[in-house]
Amino acid sequence: MGDCQSLGDCDDRRIVRLYEYLDGALTLEDLNEVKKHLEHCGECAHEYDLECIIRSVVRRSCREMAPQDLKTRIMARINEIRVEVGHG
Amino acid sequence: MPTLTADPRPASAADRGVHWAVMTEITPNTETVPVGEESEAERRERFERDALQYVDQLYSAAMRMARNPSDAEDLVQEAYTKAYSAFHQYNPGTNLKAWLYRILTNTYINLYRKRQREPQRSSTDSVEDWQMAQAAEHSSSGLRSAEAEALDHLPDSDVKDALQAIPEEFRLAVYFVDVEGFAYKEVADILGIPMGTVMSRLHRGRKQLRELLADYAAERGLGADKTTNGRQTAAGREE
Repeated sequence: MGDCQSLGDCDDRRIVRLYEYLDGALTLEDLNEVKKHLEHCGECAHEYDLECIIRSVVRRSCREMAPQDLKTRIMARINEIRVEVGHG
Repeated sequence: MPTLTADPRPASAADRGVHWAVMTEITPNTETVPVGEESEAERRERFERDALQYVDQLYSAAMRMARNPSDAEDLVQEAYTKAYSAFHQYNPGTNLKAWLYRILTNTYINLYRKRQREPQRSSTDSVEDWQMAQAAEHSSSGLRSAEAEALDHLPDSDVKDALQAIPEEFRLAVYFVDVEGFAYKEVADILGIPMGTVMSRLHRGRKQLRELLADYAAERGLGADKTTNGRQTAAGREE
């Protein structure tokens, strides 16, 4: 299905290409090439969708809030530090 | 007598490290005060304003490293303390977030990993290795369209478990890119590894994560069952 050759000559290259696309690591030229490919290749588009979903699920799940007083505790500790900057 | 107005400060090793003379003489005085001329109070204020805004993000990352809230807090606190002590070396205008993450990662490696004594995998990090493995395997996602939906409905706890289950070096690469949105180059700097290694870890990490998530989804009876291979189904899994 689809001419995946344009993304790379093996599955591995193809996936890497999709990752780079997903991660914004491609040049504009390459980016457009992948974009065009995704428009007419169902198989790669499906792969890409799944990667996007996993990424958003991971993002969603890993969002944590630091305990309220952590900032205060950090600043309290920092206030005890005297940094020697060039007063040797 | 030298013709240039001599800097009254002694040229200690610390001074040379911060390049006093260069900074004060060559850099025209713009509105930003040269870092070295900041008072302690000013530096603290700048640190609080610029660096502490990332506390939730660093804590989230620390939770993926240290695995429990108390250790994660310690880790973040320790990292911030280190960061403050080195804050005069931080080059304003460069990526502060990445700088803080590098300190966090180093703190973790030095402090916690030793303590945990995690058995480390043999180093199979080389790109060639990874490419060969991948080429031999075929990209069998095994995930069907219905499973996209299923993945989306996985509870957060499953996703965290899955992340925790993949090898640490893969986990951190995936986390930094997927959650924090760092570029490959930035991750390479944070982890102190070559960019090719970042990509290989990311590649393997994502692949393993995807397989685990598909398994979890199947166990929960979400979507099409990809691999039941002897594992318990939804009923057997604790909610």
